[in-house]
Amino acid sequence: MARVIIPATLRSLCGGSPQVDVEGATIGAVLHALDVRFPGFYGRVVEDGRLRPELAFALDGEVVALGLHDAVAPETEIAIVPALGGG
Amino acid sequence: MTTAERPTYSVIGTRPIRPDGVEKVTGKAQYGADIHLPGLIHAKVLRSPHAHARILSIDTSEAEKHPGVLAVVTHRDLPNAADKIEELGESAVNVKEVSDNILASDKALYRGHAIAAIAAASPHVAELALAKIRVEYEVLPPVLDVRDAMRDDAPLLNESRRTKTLMTGELSEKPSNIATYNRFAGGDVEAAFASADVVIEREFTTKMVHQGYIEPQTSTANWNSDGTLTIWTSTQGAFAVRGLVSEVLKLPINHVKVVPMEIGGGFGGKLPIYLDPVVALLSKKSGRPVKATMSRTEVFEATGPTSGTYIKVKASAKGDRLTAVQATLCYEAGAFPGSPVGAGSMTMLSPYNLENFDLHAYDVVVNKPKVAAYRAPGAPAAAFAIESVVDELAKHQKVDPLEFRKVNASRQGTRMVNGIAFPRIGNEEVVEAALNSPHYRSPIEGPNRGRGVASGYWFNGGMQSSVVVAVNTDGTINLVEGSTDIGGTRASLAMQLAETLGVPYDTIRPSVVDTDSIGHNDVTGGSRTTFASGLAVFEAGMDIRRQMVARAAKLWGVAEEDVVYESGVLRCLKDSTRQLTFKEMAAQSARTGGPITGKASLLARGAGGAFGTHIVDVEVDPDTGKVTILRYTAVQDVGTAIHPSYVEGQIQGGAVQGIGWALNEEYFYDETGRLVNASFLDYRMPTTLDVPNIETILVEVPNPGHPYGVRGVGEVPIVPPLAAIANAIADATGHRFTDLPMSPRRLVEELNGLA
Repeated sequence: MARVIIPATLRSLCGGSPQVDVEGATIGAVLHALDVRFPGFYGRVVEDGRLRPELAFALDGEVVALGLHDAVAPETEIAIVPALGGG
Repeated sequence: MTTAERPTYSVIGTRPIRPDGVEKVTGKAQYGADIHLPGLIHAKVLRSPHAHARILSIDTSEAEKHPGVLAVVTHRDLPNAADKIEELGESAVNVKEVSDNILASDKALYRGHAIAAIAAASPHVAELALAKIRVEYEVLPPVLDVRDAMRDDAPLLNESRRTKTLMTGELSEKPSNIATYNRFAGGDVEAAFASADVVIEREFTTKMVHQGYIEPQTSTANWNSDGTLTIWTSTQGAFAVRGLVSEVLKLPINHVKVVPMEIGGGFGGKLPIYLDPVVALLSKKSGRPVKATMSRTEVFEATGPTSGTYIKVKASAKGDRLTAVQATLCYEAGAFPGSPVGAGSMTMLSPYNLENFDLHAYDVVVNKPKVAAYRAPGAPAAAFAIESVVDELAKHQKVDPLEFRKVNASRQGTRMVNGIAFPRIGNEEVVEAALNSPHYRSPIEGPNRGRGVASGYWFNGGMQSSVVVAVNTDGTINLVEGSTDIGGTRASLAMQLAETLGVPYDTIRPSVVDTDSIGHNDVTGGSRTTFASGLAVFEAGMDIRRQMVARAAKLWGVAEEDVVYESGVLRCLKDSTRQLTFKEMAAQSARTGGPITGKASLLARGAGGAFGTHIVDVEVDPDTGKVTILRYTAVQDVGTAIHPSYVEGQIQGGAVQGIGWALNEEYFYDETGRLVNASFLDYRMPTTLDVPNIETILVEVPNPGHPYGVRGVGEVPIVPPLAAIANAIADATGHRFTDLPMSPRRLVEELNGLA
């Protein structure tokens, strides 16, 4: 089961929870599972079949470039964070 | 200071001469403006004299008739771009906004915004012809300050822009200059405030400041008759320029070749594109190669500084514990969205293990140039605010400010505000080293003198890198890479390769090549190159080792597992008399399978964030307001210092830029939006006469995500200085300054009640 860290502005969709555990073999499946429990979640973070470009995933503490079809190992911690760059 | 985790190396940690040094000190290195091509003509850009104006018409007909003029371009020459965010491999950008910033379409959004460009036989002719372009403007009121821009009745830069809540994508009903809003929250801030010993609330402002690189933006383009395009430019990312130019001009990526020249400083400011598509279009129209080089005024007015900010912080302590922080961060994005407020909000609490926080972040457009990255973009202003308040809290609680940071320090497992847990970090080790430093243990004595400390954090990046390593038959090596060398990365990469292969550093010749000559490399930014390209170099080196082992096994008629590669020597485990040095094996390459070439292309994982803590002693002249930096020590977790001199140089450079930001630098606008200090005479950057030697203490907590423990080092050192100096001035004067710069005038006014 993956653990998703819920961003503050999405917690109202998730009953206020800061983190939610869901099943899912891929990033997309995890987000769909969240959407089943909290309708509307998927549409908030996915646009045109991809994670919105302003956002990024962090898997187990590291921001990585991922698509919705990428596999997620069990017990992975997923955080959705703002995308950013350095100078 | 080195931790027990650091292994012993033979090349890493030494201080060899940089491969590009001789060319640079003899003046032979080729920078962007040094390009001279047959038939070259020169371009100049017409810029808006207004900070905010609707462009009603542009008439270039008279300019086109001017003798010597060979081409004129306006926004009409740029292909239409979709008004949406596109991913360009390494970054996400709104191509219409990029395009509109290169040549304004319907509105001029800041003074200096490019309107049209002319290519002519000489720069002088081009400049004369600019005066013949007739632009009809409807001048609009500008909005120049972030708080003014957030007001409901503020002039709107873009009447259709709605505020987007970043993590949900929701849009506001009413149009606004606030482009995005985001929030990070955890714990129970109000409960923590209610039970605290002390709650301190302060408001802070910082002004736009420029990176101040010495070399202005310059670009030369040659649109070839076969429809391909070559660009010679000063950039932190040749592949980023290629991607952006191909997107803006709607060209296939492989039709654009970008040749990165030596770079005279960047600090994040040479990540965006400005001139490249303009000279490309002028070259297409004229059939000639075209060069443009900005003046210093153009650099100040029309390239990207970093944001001016307004930050409000409310924080509490109980005993020696930091218990809660509430903050509102408002960052100026300039004319188009994209300030670094996200990074500011994500980094500001990173030095602390804090349960209760509530951060609100606003990205706000104003009628000033679109901001660009500047060394740890967003973090210094946020650190200025929180580290000033932490200093006050510690003093109120009668706790040494470094002890307060040590008690509350983040460590492995501590979660950042975005929910990500830190891997192995060196924050505690850095604070401990600062506490034990000769500087901190020395007394600070005398009237009007004070000491301040502050900490800071930067993520550091990974991203994509490609390298090719070719072994020559004489045992020398060519290392081919594609990352602009700003801070000595040719040396740091060659050193990692030498360590991997067990060969002398000076047998390796590293080269940064153009975009046709190597696989994709992301920008030299995010303090990533020594880390990520270092990973690629390590992989390519290991590739060569494997090939050499296989060849030696074949030569000796043994299995590959019976051959070992140690310190540049191949040894046969079955027969101790059989061994080949790297050089001997290289000489046999033609007889053992052909050229030996190692390659690696990767998306680097395992980037290690880094912390710095700075200590500064100041003396304030109460009559003139002058702040003299008496002593400055920067302590930083550098992972592993590949080339300690360059690491120290990065830290010293970052600290000095921070000193300038704290004490003198600011974009100073009049009420019409005219930048009145757009030259190095009036934009006061520190010189060597203004700062003492910056003492450095390198703390080495190796990054477990890199075979040699590398962490990025270039950005962290600009994060702590603003607050460290403010805290030192507060210690010296008893007066807390919350607005930057803390210039002589401001100090005199504040200290004498004249503000």
